[in-house]
Amino acid sequence: MTFAVELGLDTLSYSLSLLLVSLGLVIIFGLMNVINMAHGEFFLLGAYSVVAVQQLHMPYWLTLLIAPLMLAVVGLILEELVIRHVYHRFIDTILATWGISIALKQLIVIVFGPTSQSIVNPLPEPVHVLGVVYPSFRLFIMGVALLISFATFWVFYRTHIGLAIRGVIANRPMAASLGLNTRRMDRWTFAFGAALAGLAGAVMAPIMSVDPQMGGGFLIPAFLSIMVGGIAHLLGVVLGVALIGTTGTVIASVDTQVASQVAVFLLAIVVIRIWPEGLIGRKR
Amino acid sequence: MTSRVSMGRPLTVALWAALMLVPLFADEWSVSQLGQYLTFGILAMSLSFIWGQVGILCFGQAIFFGLGAYLMGLTTLERFTWFGGSQTVGLLLATAGPALLAYVLGKLLFVGRGLSGAFFAIVTLCAAMIVEIVAQHTDFIGGFDGLLGIPPLMANWRVGDEMLSTNETFYVVLGSALLIYLAALFVQRSPLGTVLAAIRNNEDRTASFGYRTIDYKVLAFTISGAMAGYAGALFTAQFGFVSPAITGTALSTEVLVWVAVGGRGVLMAAFLGAVLVRFVESFLSSALGPYWLLMLGMFFVLTVVVMPEGIFGRLLRLPLPRSWREPRRVPAQADHGDAKPALAKALESS
Repeated sequence: MTFAVELGLDTLSYSLSLLLVSLGLVIIFGLMNVINMAHGEFFLLGAYSVVAVQQLHMPYWLTLLIAPLMLAVVGLILEELVIRHVYHRFIDTILATWGISIALKQLIVIVFGPTSQSIVNPLPEPVHVLGVVYPSFRLFIMGVALLISFATFWVFYRTHIGLAIRGVIANRPMAASLGLNTRRMDRWTFAFGAALAGLAGAVMAPIMSVDPQMGGGFLIPAFLSIMVGGIAHLLGVVLGVALIGTTGTVIASVDTQVASQVAVFLLAIVVIRIWPEGLIGRKR
Repeated sequence: MTSRVSMGRPLTVALWAALMLVPLFADEWSVSQLGQYLTFGILAMSLSFIWGQVGILCFGQAIFFGLGAYLMGLTTLERFTWFGGSQTVGLLLATAGPALLAYVLGKLLFVGRGLSGAFFAIVTLCAAMIVEIVAQHTDFIGGFDGLLGIPPLMANWRVGDEMLSTNETFYVVLGSALLIYLAALFVQRSPLGTVLAAIRNNEDRTASFGYRTIDYKVLAFTISGAMAGYAGALFTAQFGFVSPAITGTALSTEVLVWVAVGGRGVLMAAFLGAVLVRFVESFLSSALGPYWLLMLGMFFVLTVVVMPEGIFGRLLRLPLPRSWREPRRVPAQADHGDAKPALAKALESS
């Protein structure tokens, strides 16, 4: 029983943090039609902002503010310098963001060194949940992820800005001709997606091994989630993340990490093969 | 088309001639290094073939390279006991195996509604990562350590001195590269290549001309896989060592960088891109240390944004085959069932 509860909590915490990464990715993809290969490195920058804050002997909680702000600025700069020049060349956005990811990763190696950094857990005492002893920080992660996800959904489906964004996704020229500034929306969406990834990195850093390669470990499952879930509706991402996250965590707990990664990949391939548009496809 | 007079053909010939002359004045170590870079050049051509010609961006080209390398290593180390460590069989297996894998992958991913360009790229990226992880944990192929002590290329027809010298190995590799280049070029400039280029420009339109675009894509992917596998086998025989790293995302994306920097649309430009980037890297990576990769990444972004054709793409582009430039004048009524002139015209105008 305790095993099941623990597994359930692990699955939930992994899936929710994956959701944070995937949400930014899918909003950028949906709105701007840009596949952001550098998203894993945005996550990485967020995690290393924790390292930097710790080295300056400032409280951890500060990073929850610093990381998203910093990544929003990074996102704005990159959008202005690189992304906006390749919008209309779809494949080239993949390449350009991949190049950005190489450069950012190497920048981290140069500044912080290639080895992994240890982060002091800000909430060391475990708590009792449903009869199991569970690290309280993981519960905190779940809370943050839930909060941010709900906020994103609320903005997307219940506010004027969200309506405008969905309008641009549905029909960009029409939205532009109705007077929406699509250029400004692209810019801020990219910044927002980057900020989400940065926050995810900052939140996850204390429970992960923080090293320059950690971004890819989240990027791949996030991509698979998006493809499995489909990009038509934000709920698709939730579904994809749930499927990928659950499969990954459950198999990793009964078998090896390798088996889990292979299983997740095969599952994703099968789903994509049967439903190329994702589980929640675009309505036609 | 940009200009009537193209420098592409003389430059290409000059480059191959220059490569032939390298062993005359370079020392042995440089020649052996260049021999390895040439195999990366073949890998780059295989990517350029599928990406530049058909427009399929593959983020997992190293899967085929690595599979070729492993098959070559396993055969020559006599892990497959029934071949007696023959290098010829090794090379054949290393070409056929990856081709088969590419065929299956292509069938899996293209058939039906298929995956759009970006999703295909991501799936191949994930596949490369998975293959690398699996290779690390498969004991039969050496796990994390890989395969060590793979014998170099031998000359079985010679009695006594069987091992090829550095220069001889270099010429074997260079000859292979040239043959593969010519074969790929021949395919590109044949009617088959026309259809492939048409698929790149507009798949729906090509399908409506009556071409089974999926079959063509699978075929092109298979050819590309075979090229990459053969390159992997040659690499292994020179390097003497296969590790899981050469099947994974690292090499897959590196080759992407080379091809994008060199020029994705032109085989020779992709080849030169790979050889030159490796060459420059061997000088600068020790001098610049970690800054080399940073610079390469930024340079890559710059190339993609400013020069989608790559550094050498425009320079080394060959003129179109004569029959495309001057389509035969066919009476309008007799022109049934042969869409080639129409395709060629569509390509020229694009």
